[in-house]
Amino acid sequence: MDATNLQASSAVLQADGLSKQFGGLKAVELVDFTITRYGVTSIIGPNGAGKSTFFNLVNGALLPDSGNVFLEGEDITRLSPSKRLAKGMARSFQITNLFSDLTVLDNLRLACQFLESKASLLRPLKKSQIADARCEELLDEFTLAAYASMLAGALSHGHQRRLEIAMAMATRPSLLLLDEPTQGMSHADTHETAQLIAVLGEHTTILLIEHDVDLVMTLSKKIMVMSQGEKLAEGSPDEIKGNPAVQAAYFGEAV
Amino acid sequence: MGGSRMDNAARRAIRITETTLLLSALVLFIVGTTSGDTFYLRLATEALILGGLALSVDLLLGIVGLLSLGQALYFGFGAYLSAVVLKEVYPSLALSLLVVALASAAVGYLASFIALRSKGVYFALITFGLAQIMAKVIYNTRELGASDGLIGVPVLQVWTPFGVLDTANPGVLFAITLGIIGVLYAVLRYLLTTPMGQIWRGVQSNEHRLEFIGVDPRGPKRFAFVIAAIVAAVSGALYPVLRGFVSPELLYFAVSGNAVITVILGGVGTLIGPIVGTVLLTLFKSVVGTFTAHHHIIVGIIFVIVVINAPKGLVGFLAGRLTRRSEGAPHGRD
Repeated sequence: MDATNLQASSAVLQADGLSKQFGGLKAVELVDFTITRYGVTSIIGPNGAGKSTFFNLVNGALLPDSGNVFLEGEDITRLSPSKRLAKGMARSFQITNLFSDLTVLDNLRLACQFLESKASLLRPLKKSQIADARCEELLDEFTLAAYASMLAGALSHGHQRRLEIAMAMATRPSLLLLDEPTQGMSHADTHETAQLIAVLGEHTTILLIEHDVDLVMTLSKKIMVMSQGEKLAEGSPDEIKGNPAVQAAYFGEAV
Repeated sequence: MGGSRMDNAARRAIRITETTLLLSALVLFIVGTTSGDTFYLRLATEALILGGLALSVDLLLGIVGLLSLGQALYFGFGAYLSAVVLKEVYPSLALSLLVVALASAAVGYLASFIALRSKGVYFALITFGLAQIMAKVIYNTRELGASDGLIGVPVLQVWTPFGVLDTANPGVLFAITLGIIGVLYAVLRYLLTTPMGQIWRGVQSNEHRLEFIGVDPRGPKRFAFVIAAIVAAVSGALYPVLRGFVSPELLYFAVSGNAVITVILGGVGTLIGPIVGTVLLTLFKSVVGTFTAHHHIIVGIIFVIVVINAPKGLVGFLAGRLTRRSEGAPHGRD
């Protein structure tokens, strides 16, 4: 364990031998994976490769059958999603998951509540300056200020995604997990979101699960390819492109 | 379509309804006390008391998204406890309200551990079941008068800026009730301006999502449940002061169900709507009830018509009209 802990100190996230079965199906099988600080690290793979299960083991939606997850060297394998958030891990959702009948500002305000003390719960909203200040920053950073008083459910798909990421960034997480952020987006929206992720990646560590291979190749510093629950390959975009096993399993059939 | 315009309309509709209700109360108070015709003052007092119960249903249903079919439990609990305090301990309204508020908080807190284990239909059924149990327990307790209830709650003396007044005076009791229900309403309105209120609305909108932004919804839900219990019980505590007696019927499903109906008629989630809905329905039942014993049929028909044509209730309907009117005016893009 000493050796792994030493390694973990340079890693933001480390997964050790993660496995998860559903019935007889081995959804994720003994996957080791490390994410180093800043930039975008991605996971790709054909449908049913286990990407989403791996993602859920990392974010706490699922508990692994065996293996461990370390965040900044600390074992978080069995922590609930809200405890993970307290440790600096935030996520977005594959299917847009907002408070759709609340306004954009209220969505952000709820996400920023975490920054406030518990005692502020019964004080008027106007008095919580830390959360308010962070909301203002987020509205600016994600250019959502013009939509602040709109209901989140009335936003365009692209803007909903942007709001989703803004909410995940509310607590200034040390690791941001993005689950297919461009799914179902128009070409223009995808391009815009890619730029947003690239900018975020300059000062945030991001784990990206994404179908769009072109997007992953341009954004990522490191990629893991999964197939049938196992890690098939790992490396820089160029290494992945040149890997014959990846070509056979992924590019050969899925695209 | 921006959310903001609709939001503003809803806020204006609430303010208009509040003002109308307060002015009506004022007119009723002046006319009722000067003319000496006390029937409508007493009827309005009863309506306000039931309005407090509707308020507690709306906090759970309209704000947090939990349908309680057993809110009469706390209403009846408050009424009985108040009657016992006033009869057996000391005839002081302040004392009875204080005791009822504290005791109902404890009862609500305990019940929350049973009721909040589940959501949706199951939550509704559990709250319904708890109220049925409590009603049966009281019905079978001889010390509480069993099926006859408790009679002989004394008339109270209340210290006011205008001297010592007597709750047998319908004008005085109406003013006191208006004040107390007003305070309960103001407290809930205030809570909606806090992060707590925002979390409540978040629970209704997308409870699962809260966990991923670091908010554990369990505490806020429990807090809402306890507050709703206190609001219902404090309203109930006024009942024996008005009627001089309490009976097990106060805890029956008819009372819980009626409160839900008035919430929907008045406007779910608006807080003021349920009070207005209760006032109108109480008035309506009383007026129609003098012509026919079958007024429930007419109430049922009205309920169906309102739900089909104005699913957001009276206040929602008003907000819709305000939005449509402002739509005619030129406006910027959102």
